[in-house]
Amino acid sequence: MTDNTKNAVLDVRNYSLDYKTANGTFHALKDISLEIARGEILGLVGESGSGKTSLAWSIMRYLPGNARETSGKILLSGEDLAQKSSSEIENMRGKRISMVFQDPSTSLNPTLSLGSQLSEVLVRHRGLTRKQAWSEGEAMLARVGLKTPAAMMHRMPHEASGGEKQRVVIATAFACNPECIIFDEPTTALDVITSRQILDLFVELQAETGVASLYISHDLALVSRTAGRVAVIRRGELVEQGSVGEIFTTPRQDYTRELIAAVPDPRRRLVAGQVPTDAQPLVRVEDVSVHYGRKPFLAALTGRKHERVTGNRAVSLSVNQGEILGIVGESGSGKSTLAKAMTGLNPFEGKIWFDGRPITGLKDMNTVYRKDVQIIFQHPDASLNPRQRIGEILSRPLKLYGDAANLDQQIGDMLEQVRLPRTHASRYPHQLSGGEKQRVAIARAFASRPKLVICDEITSALDVSVQASIVQLLLELQKAGNTAYLFITHDLNLIRQIAHRIAVMYRGDLIEIAPADQIDSPQRADYTRRLLDAVPPPVGSAA
Amino acid sequence: MSPNYILKRLMMIVYTLFVVSLIVFAITQVLPADAAVMMLGENATDEALNALRQSMGLDAPIWAQYGHWLGSLLQGDFGTSLRTGQPVGPIMFEALGRSLLLAVLSIGLMLVLAIPLGIIAAIRRGKVADMVVSLVSYAGVSLPEFVTATLAVLFFADLMKWLPPTGYVPLTENFVDGIRYLVLPVCVISIILIAHVSRMVRSELVDVLHTDYIRAARMKGLSGGTVLRRHALRNALLPTITIVALDVGYLLGGVIVVEEIFAIPGIGRQLIVAIQARDLPAIQAGVLIMAATYSIVNFVADILYAWLDKRIQYD
Repeated sequence: MTDNTKNAVLDVRNYSLDYKTANGTFHALKDISLEIARGEILGLVGESGSGKTSLAWSIMRYLPGNARETSGKILLSGEDLAQKSSSEIENMRGKRISMVFQDPSTSLNPTLSLGSQLSEVLVRHRGLTRKQAWSEGEAMLARVGLKTPAAMMHRMPHEASGGEKQRVVIATAFACNPECIIFDEPTTALDVITSRQILDLFVELQAETGVASLYISHDLALVSRTAGRVAVIRRGELVEQGSVGEIFTTPRQDYTRELIAAVPDPRRRLVAGQVPTDAQPLVRVEDVSVHYGRKPFLAALTGRKHERVTGNRAVSLSVNQGEILGIVGESGSGKSTLAKAMTGLNPFEGKIWFDGRPITGLKDMNTVYRKDVQIIFQHPDASLNPRQRIGEILSRPLKLYGDAANLDQQIGDMLEQVRLPRTHASRYPHQLSGGEKQRVAIARAFASRPKLVICDEITSALDVSVQASIVQLLLELQKAGNTAYLFITHDLNLIRQIAHRIAVMYRGDLIEIAPADQIDSPQRADYTRRLLDAVPPPVGSAA
Repeated sequence: MSPNYILKRLMMIVYTLFVVSLIVFAITQVLPADAAVMMLGENATDEALNALRQSMGLDAPIWAQYGHWLGSLLQGDFGTSLRTGQPVGPIMFEALGRSLLLAVLSIGLMLVLAIPLGIIAAIRRGKVADMVVSLVSYAGVSLPEFVTATLAVLFFADLMKWLPPTGYVPLTENFVDGIRYLVLPVCVISIILIAHVSRMVRSELVDVLHTDYIRAARMKGLSGGTVLRRHALRNALLPTITIVALDVGYLLGGVIVVEEIFAIPGIGRQLIVAIQARDLPAIQAGVLIMAATYSIVNFVADILYAWLDKRIQYD
């Protein structure tokens, strides 16, 4: 790689960046060196806070006022970007170097049509008139695989799906044939199948145009499928850099090894086989349907028919004592709706049998049911009261369901059970990291010694390595108390590691339930197979 | 925006006005005023009073009186003033016209000043310009209109003699004089609104400037000014529409004080006169017209908002 230094499109040399904050200087990037040649994809992998996004903004010359570049250079085709004036930088952005963002629903202006947001970059950099830019834009939307480009140009962002919007963003990034494109987690906000399609599109366009690509992601497995080389960044430092094969098969650094080990791999099962099917399952969900929305005012007045939105359509499944049942599906498939119905957060039709007792609605969910069925949510920030100390948060379920004697002792034990120091009881949620907060939420759910815990995407907001430790904790707790889990996730590789059985949902319907080790059998439903095809297991490894 | 939505909002206005009419009628019923006594004077004989009550329908049950009043209203008849014996409707609408002139000019002046001030404060956030705008707008919002009005009259009319202190000249009669009489009241009203709206514009714009789509637009190579014009302002100014429409509610109330101080024969002043004279039909008409104005302004604001932001899909 060192030979083509002269050909490198993007060349970052010994670059360091500090942020001046009220608490002193924060070293965001330390002595970073990397190069990307024409036609090459470099994957930059790191956890949140590792500095990968800071590097992207440094390259784009879009740094906040408190940033100080302490050493090094960033060269684009040999030109030092730090020497350029702000108007030169503006001429460069979008034309010679462009960017694709994480979430197309926030990176597109909600009040401008997709077409005007795409064509403005053509007007800006290629000197086209609005009319020319518009027709050129249509051609570009066709190139990124949108079926009805002319109509799509006129649509507003809220009238397009996430995948369609990301295609428009990608078309915008490629619009002026830039030398280099930075992709900042471009598929993280998308569904499994959609993100696969976007990834395929990216690979295709990249090969076609030969653009030098910096692909930023926290997902090592994802990067391994697209990038030729990978750079691992941790706390502002490049830990390791090399070809995908090298990094995965012979990682030189411990941190890289940890990261690889944390990547969920379905070939490495973490639970044993199947749970013996008892005569009576712990929970049996029987034809549960959920509908959202109420009749609009005028429809009610005129007696016109109104279709309510269906969240769940006659879903039936059961969970045995001590079993981990995974529920997978895209967003909007009804996974969380089912969880909400089972905890009484949504009204539902149908029946739920719990421990042989029928439950037809909220009124049947008494204290015993509440004690036995607990739920953990995706975002601990939203599910922990920011104004209560951890101790207060954990004392609530104890007072409600347990005995309130020796509260402090019990709270300490609970914290230890989730591998947190006892002293955390006196802290507030904002003083904890994301993973620690989720541990508190887990401790709270387990305080009442429940028989069923519903985990609703509880690891998807966490870094891979934190996710691995949370999953390990959950499995230990499960073994200790023979608790059953309803584990909702969109991460197929993860669920194939830990679930006994997997239920697949699609647009409110339960497609099928299969034992986890047989989910990849060719007899599975079409949709299940498409889902699995979209997320192949990570490259190499698994040994 | 569906026709469904517009229809629904129109029906809400009708419903609101119906409730207002009920409340207004109920209030005038409990007011210690007898229309017959008001018309004939304290010394009238019982026979004369009864005869008048009968001819006016005042002896009918209350609900029948309400029905009669509402029926006439729907035919455009607001009743006859007890004070002057003239029809109330034309008087009130003429007064409303003067008040609306005052209100529209005030809002116009306010928008012309408040939006740029808010934009400057947002762009120069935390800098001197931001502080100055904040300070001035807080001063404006903390002084009640009767204080600013009195100070304004004292300084510009009494001391400097630049402008006439009080009074009103219709623009159709003498345009220049008409404007001279309007300058002080318009300024007084807009000072209070400027504070409100510039703060709003500032905080909305600060939020918008921190969104991903603004960063994305900058990364397309658009200059700061273009991003502001094309991407930021539209989104930041949208909530201002709602705020301005709500401010019309303040205006209808605040205008009463200002009209009184500057002796402008607007609807506020008419209403005060009507209340002092216990002129029931005039009170009823005045309040209803004000409520209708407020409802219609907010209706227009909602339609405008939905038209500018296509995401808003009421049904």
